[in-house]
Amino acid sequence: MEIIRLIQLHKIYDESGIPVHAVNGINLTVSEGEFTAIVGPSGSGKTTLLNLIGGLDKPTSGEIFIEGTNLSDLKPNQLIDFRLRNIGFVFQSFNLIPVLTAHENVEFIMQLQGRGREERHVRTNELLKSVGLEDKIDVRPRNLSGGQQQRVAVARALASKPRFILADEPTANLDSKSTSNLLDIMEKLNHVEHMTFIFSTHDQRVVSKAHRVITIEDGQVVSDVNQEHFVHKV
Amino acid sequence: MFWSIAWKNVWRNKLRSLLVIMAIALGVAAASYSAALMFGMATQKIKAAVSNEVSHIQLHQADFLENFEIRDSIPQPDQVGAGIAGIPGVKAVTERSVITGMTMSATSSAGIQINAINPDLEKKVTTIYTKISDSSGSYLAVGKRNQVLVSSKIAEKLKVRVKSKIILRFQSADGTIIDGAYKICGIYKTSNGIFDEMNIFINRDDLSRQLGKEAPVHEIAVLLSNNDYLEKVTGTIKKENPALSVLTWKQLQPELGMLTGLLTISLYFLLGIILAALAFGIVNTMLMVVLERVRELGMLMAVGMNKRNLFKMIMLETIFLSLTGGIVGMVISIAVTGITAHSGIDLSSFARGFESMGYDAFIYPELRPDFFIGTVVLVIFTGILSSVYPARMALKINPADAVRGE
Repeated sequence: MEIIRLIQLHKIYDESGIPVHAVNGINLTVSEGEFTAIVGPSGSGKTTLLNLIGGLDKPTSGEIFIEGTNLSDLKPNQLIDFRLRNIGFVFQSFNLIPVLTAHENVEFIMQLQGRGREERHVRTNELLKSVGLEDKIDVRPRNLSGGQQQRVAVARALASKPRFILADEPTANLDSKSTSNLLDIMEKLNHVEHMTFIFSTHDQRVVSKAHRVITIEDGQVVSDVNQEHFVHKV
Repeated sequence: MFWSIAWKNVWRNKLRSLLVIMAIALGVAAASYSAALMFGMATQKIKAAVSNEVSHIQLHQADFLENFEIRDSIPQPDQVGAGIAGIPGVKAVTERSVITGMTMSATSSAGIQINAINPDLEKKVTTIYTKISDSSGSYLAVGKRNQVLVSSKIAEKLKVRVKSKIILRFQSADGTIIDGAYKICGIYKTSNGIFDEMNIFINRDDLSRQLGKEAPVHEIAVLLSNNDYLEKVTGTIKKENPALSVLTWKQLQPELGMLTGLLTISLYFLLGIILAALAFGIVNTMLMVVLERVRELGMLMAVGMNKRNLFKMIMLETIFLSLTGGIVGMVISIAVTGITAHSGIDLSSFARGFESMGYDAFIYPELRPDFFIGTVVLVIFTGILSSVYPARMALKINPADAVRGE
């Protein structure tokens, strides 16, 4: 089932009077259950593309449909609420709230959604268990390793029961063991719960795990490869 | 949720928060203690005025207070006094003759107000009898003739002392000048220099003898068991004595009546200025907080925190910061007031200045719950106002740029 459709997407930044085409006419669809990596050199437009899909940025032209909803039709507050209920985010620098424990960081998203206390508590414990952190519930981020923090971030991204998760360079600040652990967890979530993941990454280990690899250069898709099959370049 | 996060965020940078909190605390403590001092002074002045000078309520013949004519006396004063004494809330009643005249000694003279009293009844209504030091003689004694109680100011002016003789001169109703020789039995001193300069006390029986008839009653003074009865008792007295002028202490000394109100306004003004100055520091601190947390705030907006909740979070953090400082400040002022309220603050080196304005040089600071409540409200208001600019800065954060800043 298609959950994301991008139609002739453009994003142009004005850098001191010089237009920069960060995203230059991208057409793309992502289906439910995909484990997709977006790769490309620095400045190719990966992060910009992810931000557009996540509704964090507005396209200069083109359309973004998330499960049939055109993001351009949403008012700012509606867009924020849409993100809260449909999209999960995992950031390169984890971005956990330092004054909250692991439990509270995950629970926080459900509190924003207005869910009941019992539901929040049960689901938070389940999520932290699913990422292997059931013994770190009451620990604050400063007392967690980078890998553990990123796993909390994954749990947080899942807390809102999103349609898909956007992960921008999620392994960039992790060592190899933590990267491996994180990818195993994400793969498991993808297999078991059919959670859709879209990564932007330089990390070959992530690319090797991805089912689909989209290569971007100069804001355009230059290849879109299903790892199990060879597909001609676009 | 936001309450918990905001409170925890206040303590993220403990040193910075403590500095701001202590600045607010000192400002609030200074303003609150100043208020306690001024309220204490005001209360002492009002208490002194009621207990030494005007009592709670005074009755006069309708025209008396305009010209102080000896003939403008209260008809049937005993009946009036007896009626008043029976009203619930009335503690004591006394009757006085009040005559303007002159006093003369061998060396000097002074214009004065002669208060001819019943010494025993007067003791129940005023505390003048307690204002005579051991070395300054004694109060008017029943049965002893031609005694006079003068103030230390009058004694100083006339260059007399206890047991000295002075002449009291006044004009009777028919215009006759009446002189009487009196011996000073005691010298009193109140905290109100203005009152002391004008008032002497003699026995009403002595005045009756001088006049050759019962001395007229010009003034009936009423002391209540509690100031809370003031309005009710005054209303009752007015109803029962419609022909007489019935005035409360607030009307007799309107500047006293307004004193507390004016003080409160000026103290809130002072507190407002202090808090306004502190607000700049709070704004600066919160701006630093927002700038330090751009990425975190961007993340919050990215994952779905709407602008209203973000604004609320910043505002709560600012209010908590301000309120903590405010509460610490009030605790400090309560502690200092508690210590000094018992012992008092001795400003006797400024005694002359204080007495010339009618204030005691020994101040007992006084806490007022309503001022504290007002302070809390102002502190919260300062927090809210101080949060607006930093919160607006936070709302301008672009989440895409903020989370990208790796």
